[in-house]
Amino acid sequence: MPWLARLRYSRFPIVALVSLLVLLVAGVTIAVLNERSLKEQTAREAGAQADLLASAVSGALAFDDAEAAQDYVDAVQVNPSVLTAAVYDENGRLLASFIRDGETIFHEAAPDDRATLFDNGRLLVARPVEEAGQRLGVVHLKLLETPRAQRFGRYAGLLVVLALAALVVLVLAVAQGALRRANRQLADRAAELVRANSLLQQQMLEREKAEEALRQSQKMEAIGRLTGGIAHDFNNLLMVASSGIDLLDRTDDPKRRRALSAGVRQAVERGAALTRQLLAFARRSPLRAEVLDLRGHIEGLRFLLERSLREDIEVVLDLPEDLWRIEADRGELELALLNLAVNARDAMPQGGRLSVVGRNQPGEGGGPDRVFLRITDTGVGMSEAVASRVFEPFFTTKEVGRGTGLGLSQVYGFVRSSGGDVSVDSREGAGTTFTLCLPPTEKAPPEPEAARPAPVRGPGARASSGRLLLVEDDDAVAAGVGHMLGDLGYSHVRVANAAEALAVLEKDPGFDLVFSDMVMPGEMDGLGLAQEVRRRLPETPVLLTTGFSEAASAATGEAFRLLPKPYGIESLSEALNATLSEGAP
Amino acid sequence: MVPGRGALRLMAALLWSVPLPCLAMETPQVLTRQTSLEYSVKANYLVRFAAFADWPPRAFASNQSPVVICVAGRDPFRGALDRAVQAQTAHGRPLAVRRPGTREAAAGCHILYVGQGGGGLVPEGQRATLLVTDSAAPPAERGMIHFAISENRVRFHIDLQQASRAGLSISSRLLNLALSVRGG
Repeated sequence: MPWLARLRYSRFPIVALVSLLVLLVAGVTIAVLNERSLKEQTAREAGAQADLLASAVSGALAFDDAEAAQDYVDAVQVNPSVLTAAVYDENGRLLASFIRDGETIFHEAAPDDRATLFDNGRLLVARPVEEAGQRLGVVHLKLLETPRAQRFGRYAGLLVVLALAALVVLVLAVAQGALRRANRQLADRAAELVRANSLLQQQMLEREKAEEALRQSQKMEAIGRLTGGIAHDFNNLLMVASSGIDLLDRTDDPKRRRALSAGVRQAVERGAALTRQLLAFARRSPLRAEVLDLRGHIEGLRFLLERSLREDIEVVLDLPEDLWRIEADRGELELALLNLAVNARDAMPQGGRLSVVGRNQPGEGGGPDRVFLRITDTGVGMSEAVASRVFEPFFTTKEVGRGTGLGLSQVYGFVRSSGGDVSVDSREGAGTTFTLCLPPTEKAPPEPEAARPAPVRGPGARASSGRLLLVEDDDAVAAGVGHMLGDLGYSHVRVANAAEALAVLEKDPGFDLVFSDMVMPGEMDGLGLAQEVRRRLPETPVLLTTGFSEAASAATGEAFRLLPKPYGIESLSEALNATLSEGAP
Repeated sequence: MVPGRGALRLMAALLWSVPLPCLAMETPQVLTRQTSLEYSVKANYLVRFAAFADWPPRAFASNQSPVVICVAGRDPFRGALDRAVQAQTAHGRPLAVRRPGTREAAAGCHILYVGQGGGGLVPEGQRATLLVTDSAAPPAERGMIHFAISENRVRFHIDLQQASRAGLSISSRLLNLALSVRGG
């Protein structure tokens, strides 16, 4: 049966349908049975009434007393449901009757003596009149069946109960259907959620990568901005060095030569410090919170800040001695300050002053303590609309190519990830103040790196002896280092790469030390060479040197002694001595 | 259909459609017809009395014994009574008509109609006989049921005292129709 199958797949529960049907059948059955018993009862009552009338009028019929018969008939009409009553004699002739308005009677008796007929809401009852076996006539009674309203009233209760039951079943069915639908939707949604979750996970991974790349690129952008200042600085240093060397060649006055060489060395040291700072700043490192001494740290940054600004901008640092420590990522803090400085520089095209002010702010009313850093410039300021958007990523007021719009968003990200807050206060033409509000820490600062013993200066560098293998690809550097080595009393053989070095060592393994640059052309770099030497000739110590910070950390990871470039003759002497003394025992 | 029915219906129709006119004013033919109508009604009534009266069991010889209706003296019914009893029963008994010639013969009657000159046949003593007298009978000789003409209709008086003395009981429905009931 297709309709059954269709019903099974429809949303209306079959149980509810069956319940409804059962209810309906039960209701109808009860009504029919009730109606039937009611009819029977009505018929019985009407029959009894007719019997009563028949027995009462028997005398009047027997002796043709129409008046007496009429009396009895009239007595019957007290019952309001009796519509007509008629008494016929044995010949079917009407003797007495009463008829309510609108009703009719037979003027001659029907042939049936005894009958009960239901007809159109009427009940016709005929009963014979007999006395002691003599048939005397017949009485007819016509009664109104129970009026419809009354009958309906009788069933109204049942109907209400049925309707309520049906309603309950319907509501239950609808509720169940809705529940089923909701369950299905829930399952769908759960599946959707799972999909969305995996998508999100993937996106998070991608985002992490992207953020990492972004941070790096922000750094590079900042470095790019620094480049101008740095180049200028380097040119100055190179100027000092080259003029110093020229003058050295031109004079023989030892006093003057000492002054000149001191000037050149100072310039070179400044350059070295500058590159060290740049490398430290540009290094790749994950976000790593450490306890920072703000005062010392920012003072250390002054040089970098000044380089990233122009000469017509004055940098004022106001950091009290007892400024609280904070816990944050060193690189991010530097980058944030640099970004703010660059921003200030761009806001002051005519020059001005950048001040960095640090203040301790003890918590009031149970609030937490805070450290405030205010970076104020005397630039053109911004409108309120611009100020409200400065921390949005990619929002920039600079012309295309000048800024990425990521600088201040980095500041915001750094401050938020350090558990602090940042606000901007600016008026057009009245400068801008960024306030970084950071939570202080109680933790102790990390142990400062053990101060290197002051290098032994001047001719005090002690003379040494030994045979070294110098591995250096740059001829100029190799020549310079060769001079220094000779000066220190070492003899050396120079090769240009790792393969050559290994070949030489193969033939002549009797070198006291291998001194190698780390970054070299060829399949093997300095670190590889050092490992190979350690494998083949464990007795021969290795000293590595490099100008790259990454390579340097790799070398320290492998427990090789490292001499960072650039180095002076004192540093070289010391490092060689230390390496030789390590390898000697 | 029973042969007597047609006549009876005609009689009844006449009786109801034409009220009986004053007897004294009528011509002899009309009078004769009216008299015959009156007696056929009375014959009918005699039969009905059998249904509305109750006799003590000793009045019948057996369960099947008929209810005997007797006519004492001159018979005014001219066969109307014989026709009326045909196929009729009372209390499950058949009806029979007799015309006793002697007082002894009249002793077995259950309903005794006393016609002209029938006074001598009325049984002596307490017998369970329903004595029916006609309007001509003098008051002293009136029976338990006494026919009378009232408003052109055949009615009757009932002497309940006499009936109960004879051991008869008369239905209250019959009493209700009586012109008068003596000794209720």
